[in-house]
Amino acid sequence: MNQILVIAWREVTRLRKRFGGGASPLAVVALLVVLGLSAYYLRDTVSLGSGLYRVGVSGDVPAISDSRFAVMEVDAEQGQTLLEQKVIDVFIDGSQVYSRADDKSQFAVRALKQYMEKQELIRVGNSFANADAFPLRVAINYLGAAEQAAAQNDAGGALPITTPEEVIIPSLTPPPAPFTQVLVALLYIMPITFISIFFTSSFMDEKMNRRLTILLSAPVTPFQIIFGKMLPYAIFALASTVLIAALTKTNILLALAIFAPTTLFIFAIYLMVPLFYRTFKDTTFIAMLVTTLTTAYLVFPAMFTNVNDLAYISPLALAVKMYRNEPFGWREYLFPSLPMAAIFGLAMFAGTRLLNEEFLMGYKPLTRKLSDAIYLMMAHSKPYIAVPLWSLITIPVVYMTQIVFLAFATNLPVGLILGFTLFASALIEEVVKTVGIVALAEHGAVKTWREIIGLSFLSALGFLIGEKLLLLVSISMVSQAPVAGALFGAGLLLFIPLIAHFVFSTIITVLRTKLRFPYWLALGIGTIVHFIYNVYVLRGGM
Amino acid sequence: MIAPFFAVVKKELASVIRDRTIIISILIQLFIASFSSALLLGMLSLYDSDTIMNFGGAGIKIGVVNSSDNTLASLMSERGLTVIQYATLTEAQAAFFNNEVSAVVDTPVDANGITEIKLYLPDMDAISSLIRMVIQEPLKQYENYLRGQKGIEVRYTDLKGKPSTSYEFVYSVLIPMLMFFPAFVSGSMSVDSLTEEVENKTLQTLLSTPLSINGMVSAKILASVILSFVQAVAWIALLQMNDIVIQNTGWILLLAAIIAGITSTAAMLGAVMLQDRERSQFIYSLLLLAGAGISTLLNTSPITALSRLAIGDAYTSGWNVAVFAVFLAALYFLLAKMSRRLLA
Repeated sequence: MNQILVIAWREVTRLRKRFGGGASPLAVVALLVVLGLSAYYLRDTVSLGSGLYRVGVSGDVPAISDSRFAVMEVDAEQGQTLLEQKVIDVFIDGSQVYSRADDKSQFAVRALKQYMEKQELIRVGNSFANADAFPLRVAINYLGAAEQAAAQNDAGGALPITTPEEVIIPSLTPPPAPFTQVLVALLYIMPITFISIFFTSSFMDEKMNRRLTILLSAPVTPFQIIFGKMLPYAIFALASTVLIAALTKTNILLALAIFAPTTLFIFAIYLMVPLFYRTFKDTTFIAMLVTTLTTAYLVFPAMFTNVNDLAYISPLALAVKMYRNEPFGWREYLFPSLPMAAIFGLAMFAGTRLLNEEFLMGYKPLTRKLSDAIYLMMAHSKPYIAVPLWSLITIPVVYMTQIVFLAFATNLPVGLILGFTLFASALIEEVVKTVGIVALAEHGAVKTWREIIGLSFLSALGFLIGEKLLLLVSISMVSQAPVAGALFGAGLLLFIPLIAHFVFSTIITVLRTKLRFPYWLALGIGTIVHFIYNVYVLRGGM
Repeated sequence: MIAPFFAVVKKELASVIRDRTIIISILIQLFIASFSSALLLGMLSLYDSDTIMNFGGAGIKIGVVNSSDNTLASLMSERGLTVIQYATLTEAQAAFFNNEVSAVVDTPVDANGITEIKLYLPDMDAISSLIRMVIQEPLKQYENYLRGQKGIEVRYTDLKGKPSTSYEFVYSVLIPMLMFFPAFVSGSMSVDSLTEEVENKTLQTLLSTPLSINGMVSAKILASVILSFVQAVAWIALLQMNDIVIQNTGWILLLAAIIAGITSTAAMLGAVMLQDRERSQFIYSLLLLAGAGISTLLNTSPITALSRLAIGDAYTSGWNVAVFAVFLAALYFLLAKMSRRLLA
């Protein structure tokens, strides 16, 4: 523990030195300016499409102050001409709105409708008594299932109303899309990402000066080094969470509970950057990839809060709930948090295995580097333990990748979507199952036919157990998620899928290690067989 | 003078291609682009009541308890929902539990001049929020009708149009993002390629060649801009293959290249002053955020200019692009003055 604190303190000193002197006031001023401006910028982008529509107005028209509309004063005749010449998209003459039949003009009309609706409400609300301006109340009651109704009818005849009545005024009810809350929740992520960039730089710096070599020869473990370096940044990140929670006047402890696993997750991912980079440009590209992927992973699902339970993949969905003062339970909390904590654990483990000079300093093709990394992570124990364990714990990654592929596939023509998704799923599954065995074989850790076939079986077994566990979890947690069912639900019989998975991995590992096929070719052949099997199962053949 | 200049450009491009990481960067953009359009698709169908109505509005059955005032029921059928009338609330609820209707609307009750309606929904998030979305519009119309009865006239209620979210997204988010993201990356790349020379101490060697310091810095900037330009061309081609109409492609590509020039030059300026990667990249990201913030204060920000060019706005032309070219020239002049610091 003491060692960790020493390393953590050294890290703080390093930062102070780097940003001390001339650079620090500059950085602080710049930071403040940027924060202010980006807040302004964010507020502005809440409405999409700045300056997209041109509107001509004439006569008594309420002022249009929405960044989407560029407004110009015209007289009535000129307005009509401009509209016909497609110079403006909409022409408003008093309370009369003129448009063309083409799409662009019609889009503008819809955008205008949304804006005018709001403006008219403000006008009506300001100029009339409340009861007259808003004369409608809708009381919403949620009714439980029919069985409950029957039971309660026997008991006393009351309706099975599950939650207290909710009263709304239709015109004042915000749309269900949680954009604003997601944007606020995103505010938490930005500083964490910024801070983790310094965490990455710290490792790069040490690597550059070769000080990491000295540190590694000192009596500290790689775990202590990583943890010690991470500690100050993690504290900064949590402090920023507290600050934002306090500024947005929400429950600080709840915000911490929601964003602590996310912080760990982001740090885990950023830990991979210094381990894998070879040149500076690599770091830029890898960091870019990481930022995009994490942001997408966190933001996109949260957009579907309250619409689809799959939204709980992202902890931002919890934050949205928090800002809407809606309660959520332990299951909802653990669903995003556990995988993130698990990925942090996996990354820490990988970090401790990979933090050695030979791995860090080598300039090799990325694929080589990945293969080395997998080998180093596997070599800690006997292959027959490491291989099935690897297949088992990479399942969440497989799951996420398959969902991403599904998103890719929606861009394809309808006929191709299913085929592409099936093929891509088969591919990623085969990669996960065989890559460990191939890496071990390439480093000479496994050689014989017996070992390779045995390991293929264990890998298939580990994968299947993981897959079924995940299926179980997703059925119990996200009852309404059809994606999980479609991707993982093929066949409830366990025996046939096990044999099938075993056969596919054996094809690939044997082709690669015994027959010396290139890995991509072996993988391609195995994947095609797997794909044919998937199609066969889907057609109801089994 | 010219030959060594292009030798540096060539070396920079070759190293990027050799490292393969540029492929990752391009994959990310493909990922964002397709993910956001997948999101958009989902969003449209989940949050836009028009789309829901088009795909299965008639399949949504609403039970209504009979009353003297049937305005709301007729507004709902006009909207395309299937409305089934019941004589009493009990009957309607029995139908609800037999899955004949998905929701029940009770008779409006007048309470001190305010009309109250009870709405019964199933206790399932997905279905009830769907119903709430499609029923919102008829409820608002009914509210306007009630306002009308009290003598309050609400204007502009007859506007229709077409759902514009998708259009706004494509022209004001997707196209600017695809055009400018390579530019942001190219700034980062310029920082990397200069600070790597400084930190690996290869800069002095490079400067001993027949190439001035400004020539070396400019060559690195040009390499980044070329890369970003190539990506922009590829994106435009891809978007057009997906039947997205883009006007003024020439000006758009020029604008993208100028923005890449601005980001690279600004990034290089920071790198020349700080000469290490950590601080230069940090300052560059701050500058980028600040730049994006400040540019929205402009009358025509680069994003607005780009989306207006893409939709073929009548008032937007090459002059809007020229403004940014002038800014780039000024920035480059500043860099040329500052780059001597590298020799110190």
